[in-house]
Amino acid sequence: MNDTVMVTAPGLQIARPPCRSIPIKLTTATFASGMNGSLQRISSFDCRRTKLLEQAACVPSWKPHYPKVQTFGLTFPDGVEFLPENSDDKECSDLPRSMNGPQASASGARSKRCFDQPPQKKFTRLKPPDDALSLQDLLFYVLQPPLESLLSGQELVMPFEPFGFQYEGIGWLFSRKSALLADEMGLGKTMQAITALRLLLRSGQVQKTLLVCPKPLIPNWQRELKLWAEELPCVTIEGDAARRRMLWTMPTAAILIANYELMVRDFESFDADDLPTFDLVILDEAQRIKNRESLTAQTCRSIPRKRSWMLTGTPIENRPEEIASLFEFIEIVPPRGTPDLQQLKRLSNTHVLRRTKDLVLTDLPPRLDRDEYLDLAPAQIYAYQVAEKQGIIHLNEMGDSITIQHVFELVLRLKQIANFDPLTGESAKFDRLRTDLEEIVASGSKAILFSQWTRCLDWLNERLKPFRPLVYHGRVPTKKRELILKRFQEDPGSHLLLMSYGVGAVGLNLQCAGYVFLFDRWWNPAVEDQAINRAHRIGQKNPVIVTKFISKNTIEERIDDILREKRDLFAKVLGDGLHSNASLGLNASESFGLFDLKAQQATETRNVGPDQSVVQNVDTID
Amino acid sequence: MADNVFQDVKSTESSQLRLGFLTAIHVDRRGYVAGLLVTNRYGRPLEFQCTTPVKPNRTQELLYGPTLVPFILGELIGHTLVDKIGVKPHLILTDRNEMLELRNHISIPVACLNATRATPHTEQPSCNPSTPPIDLQNESLSTTEVSLGRRVFRIHSAHATDLGVLRHNAAAISPDADLQEPLQRVVNALNETMSVKLGAV
Repeated sequence: MNDTVMVTAPGLQIARPPCRSIPIKLTTATFASGMNGSLQRISSFDCRRTKLLEQAACVPSWKPHYPKVQTFGLTFPDGVEFLPENSDDKECSDLPRSMNGPQASASGARSKRCFDQPPQKKFTRLKPPDDALSLQDLLFYVLQPPLESLLSGQELVMPFEPFGFQYEGIGWLFSRKSALLADEMGLGKTMQAITALRLLLRSGQVQKTLLVCPKPLIPNWQRELKLWAEELPCVTIEGDAARRRMLWTMPTAAILIANYELMVRDFESFDADDLPTFDLVILDEAQRIKNRESLTAQTCRSIPRKRSWMLTGTPIENRPEEIASLFEFIEIVPPRGTPDLQQLKRLSNTHVLRRTKDLVLTDLPPRLDRDEYLDLAPAQIYAYQVAEKQGIIHLNEMGDSITIQHVFELVLRLKQIANFDPLTGESAKFDRLRTDLEEIVASGSKAILFSQWTRCLDWLNERLKPFRPLVYHGRVPTKKRELILKRFQEDPGSHLLLMSYGVGAVGLNLQCAGYVFLFDRWWNPAVEDQAINRAHRIGQKNPVIVTKFISKNTIEERIDDILREKRDLFAKVLGDGLHSNASLGLNASESFGLFDLKAQQATETRNVGPDQSVVQNVDTID
Repeated sequence: MADNVFQDVKSTESSQLRLGFLTAIHVDRRGYVAGLLVTNRYGRPLEFQCTTPVKPNRTQELLYGPTLVPFILGELIGHTLVDKIGVKPHLILTDRNEMLELRNHISIPVACLNATRATPHTEQPSCNPSTPPIDLQNESLSTTEVSLGRRVFRIHSAHATDLGVLRHNAAAISPDADLQEPLQRVVNALNETMSVKLGAV
């Protein structure tokens, strides 16, 4: 018995069985049997043919074969060339500046050299929009080069190096057909929109664009377009009706710029079938269409278009319904749709991009707010008390016929007295302002002052002559406005710009000013923030000191208290942490409450004015 | 054939230069899928073609041995992509050695990224523009290598004349250009394609 034998089968091993050795002692011997002689004979052998195995079977022949490889393709739209290569870049023109990192430009001057600048630290990939359904759509974005590469001075020269969050905003806009860019004022919404538009035009996705903005902002857009996309042909809608009609239908202009009023007027003259069509429509200061029933909103929604973008720092000024109107324009809410707060928030997550300075501009100089609570001058106190007493008595006497307009008139009257006494000209605010201005002028700094009233601005202009103020408000002819801004920015001897909220609060870049005065308060802090951000924005090198004058024991103090309590609506709709500079205006009920108005009727006391369901805003009235 | 290509590419104005970026990924249980992206000289995409997955069977694996992957990536997939692409590139750049085999089947020069000549910051994303360029002044290139942008590429040893074509075009490519970045785009696109479960062959 051999204990080394292992039983196996093809592909199978069986465990060796247990073996035991038994010692056996055997002896051998040859016995005389008579057979021993046969052992001497020679053995005989015989050979015979026999088949050992069956014939080996042939394996079927194998020929290399692969099925035809299937492919899937995507052709990109042809890019559009608007201008030949810039001769200024001749030194680089022989070599493509392809796939470079972005070219930083410390001075802000246009980069002349291509390769000697430090490389960018990160890059931004274009992301497909959430609503991209087809594989082609997805791949279109995935296969685009990083934005920093596109904008690094190869095909698209950039005068300044964008911030990282701006790259993100550009990429976000580029990939969206419906978008609301709601960055806080001063973060460069204009630049981001222009650059995204530029990329769309250059990549052949967009050919004709309409940009609609408030009339005072048209020069600003013209200037920014020239700065950020000088190669793009743009035409401003202006002139008589015949010329404007020709401009609207002109096929060659890549960008048409129109103000809201002209756009509404001109579109009324078009037949519904003849409306000019656009690949992209951009509404700047889009809160202009917050009232969905307004003619402006209806006209904007009627524009035939493929993409809809909106820019505003205040998508909600007063109530959530406003953003629903904006969403209707970008066609993510059906006509007359009334989404609830949760639905609005869900839509905002997808279609609204909002960043605040606190989040993205950690290197922006701080904004230092000073609320200056001032006692009225004696003459102001007397005038104020008389006006308030008489006004409230008058309102109470009106009983049920009282309207918000009556309350509003009293508020305005009291606010004007809080600015200065109309009889004597005494003004606590003016006295304080003059003191501050002396310091500002002595240090060579510049200041902007905002007021609600042009009359107040003119009054200040007369009394501040030694400071050589400049005045910029709605009664200043449009042609002169650009010159005034230019002089304020460039003339070292010009230290003060007096502006009205209505004209000066939006769209202007006045980073040269280090001080902002709010001589009186606007109804809505969002508008005040817009005004402040003329100075406190990208490009500002120094801290901006904001002084808000609030007269003690006056209507100004009461309005301020109410508005402070209403800063959470942005958070509810647009998310947490985004409401630091946003707030709501006063509604009608709150306006009545300013004076604790009550009407006596028999034995019961009741509030006078609309019930709480009425949400008529003071801004609207104004 | 190679000489004709050299003439064709040489006569191409640098402004018209088109680059093909070819790479492949292997997907578990589905096989190889490859993509070819053609860009202009600035890296702007012009056309993209990708394949459905190709998976060799066991017999093919045994019989092709080490030649299997070059066959699949070069002759089978690469050749098909070059045939299918409408906008023909003047150069094809890849980051997979096996795809150099493609050069034996087409007339367009093919060069492979030499990963060993990458920058010291290899832990960073390869397409990160912050990656400093190779200091080629101090680097010696072999007879089959050429510097394009800030990367070094190697040609197929049997097609030495391609080196002239690549050198000619190297002058038209910025020294700062990172020609690995578009290859990363192709990889991203292939992953995106696979994620939407394009049917396998």
